[in-house]
Amino acid sequence: MSPDSISALRLSIQVAVAATALNAMIGIPIAYLLARRRFWGRSMLDLVVTLPLVLPPTVVGYYLIVLLGRRGLLGAPLYKLTGWTVAFTWYAAVIAATVMALPLLVRTVHAAIESVDRDLERAAYTLGHSELRTALEVTLPLARNGILAGLVLAFARALGEFGATLMLAGNIPGRTTTVPLSIYTAVQTGESGEAIAMVVALTALSCLVLIVANRLGARAT
Amino acid sequence: MTSRLEVAVRKSLPGFTLDVEWSAGDGVATLFGPSGSGKTLTLQCLAGLVRPDAGRIVVGGRVLFDAAAGVDLPPQRRRVGYVFQGYALFPHLTVRGNIGFGLRDRSRAERRRRVDEVLGRLGLEAFAERSPRELSGGQRQRVALGRALATDPALLLLDEPLSALDLPLRQALRDEMRSILTGWGIAAVLVTHDLTEAYRLGDRIVVYEEGRVIQAAPRAELLWQPSSRSVARIMGIRNLVQGVTLKATADRIQFRWRGQVLEAVNSPTHSYLPAADSPLAFFIRPEYVRLIRKDRGHVDAAHHMNLMAGTVVREVDQGASWTLFLRLDEPGAPAQGDYDLELEVPRLVYEILEIDRDRHWQFSLHRGAIHVLPSA
Repeated sequence: MSPDSISALRLSIQVAVAATALNAMIGIPIAYLLARRRFWGRSMLDLVVTLPLVLPPTVVGYYLIVLLGRRGLLGAPLYKLTGWTVAFTWYAAVIAATVMALPLLVRTVHAAIESVDRDLERAAYTLGHSELRTALEVTLPLARNGILAGLVLAFARALGEFGATLMLAGNIPGRTTTVPLSIYTAVQTGESGEAIAMVVALTALSCLVLIVANRLGARAT
Repeated sequence: MTSRLEVAVRKSLPGFTLDVEWSAGDGVATLFGPSGSGKTLTLQCLAGLVRPDAGRIVVGGRVLFDAAAGVDLPPQRRRVGYVFQGYALFPHLTVRGNIGFGLRDRSRAERRRRVDEVLGRLGLEAFAERSPRELSGGQRQRVALGRALATDPALLLLDEPLSALDLPLRQALRDEMRSILTGWGIAAVLVTHDLTEAYRLGDRIVVYEEGRVIQAAPRAELLWQPSSRSVARIMGIRNLVQGVTLKATADRIQFRWRGQVLEAVNSPTHSYLPAADSPLAFFIRPEYVRLIRKDRGHVDAAHHMNLMAGTVVREVDQGASWTLFLRLDEPGAPAQGDYDLELEVPRLVYEILEIDRDRHWQFSLHRGAIHVLPSA
């Protein structure tokens, strides 16, 4: 593999790991709220989080540009304040991958939390535990398998993200070119050898993730 | 008399309204009534898991909820223990972890000491490191009790604590539960739809029907109030009648009813010992009344306990079986209107014995089929 391909592979893993971590931090609390609380705007939140699952990735990417681009709703004030913009950096790739992976994680974890017997949480409340503590010591440990499955799906989705990443982060070799983008470029420019090498590498990596996840899942039950 | 527990709760849900008011002293109060009558909802209001629309809940002088005064303590601060239907033991923790779960604010040593004490009192030492799924139904029940009792709650709530068990175990554990509750000396509210359970476990019985309390009284008084009978009928308990005690021993109760001397089994571990000549309520399941066939030779009194004779005054075709209403060959008014006992015979038996033609029968009651309801 060429140095470009190796750097693409390294960047892809880096982006997928960061996006998965962000998913855990954002997605698990959202899934908990959706599963256990009734609040104003709940169905709106559910809708917004789920949209990336059904929208074309380029549309999601477009929204991200509108939001975070240099002239975006959040991006413009940020640029004015710091002279820095997230667009066309590897952070942009992380954000795109995070948003695209979020529905998979949230939906899986939501279902897992809903399957936890509510009487267990009620029992914890009557035994003096706050809602947060109950979530951390009862609900989430019992939803562990679902959370694990959700994280694996999120990682796999982040690893393969293409459309939204291209829109927000561009395709800058060595900076924002992840493996899927790199494969696309290689095929476009007729470097089929490089394309095959990366296709094999990505397939192998995905298989590895699934095998590890299955092992963990089997141990958890 | 000041009450340990004062409950006034109103809560409207779609299609159901709970509107109850009752009080109880120390000891066990049982909430008895059919499913869907609001018993569990009352427990949830007491525990702070459901917020009533209006009312006031006071436990031992502490106001837990008062809609008018804007008081609503969260479940964490109510000091109310809850034993859930199906127990709700934490499956990812050991027995020790479950019992110590409510003691997280204590020091490690103090928690360990308390958990050991609870394990010891409930005879669970050998199971401390087991997972709940490795326990029998009875052991799970004790762990659930221990988990709730470990924190020294001011009040213990038990939601159908025996319904997860099969019948023979249920009867044994009912007595065990009674001795744990009295041994611990804790005020408790227990929900059940089983009349025998309500009587065996409760010092005070609160009868629920469709979100309302139709009566609340100490156990000794309740059974003689007419609405208990209508409730018993609603619950499908038939042949609930009263006799007069002759003699009660640890394993037998002898009593007089409609001129007969009958004998019932007493509870082997928690005998009910009413004084001679005191009133005694009991019920007999219609399917346990045994007709004696006339073609099987002479009747052996040793073989056929509680032998009686009577005439079929009415009958109802139930399809697979017949319900017969019998009047005993005794002078005086029958126990239940125009009849004394209701019994059920399979259709085949009815046809073989030609009951439609032959109306006078001898029958017997096995002493285990007579359910005495303690009233003192």
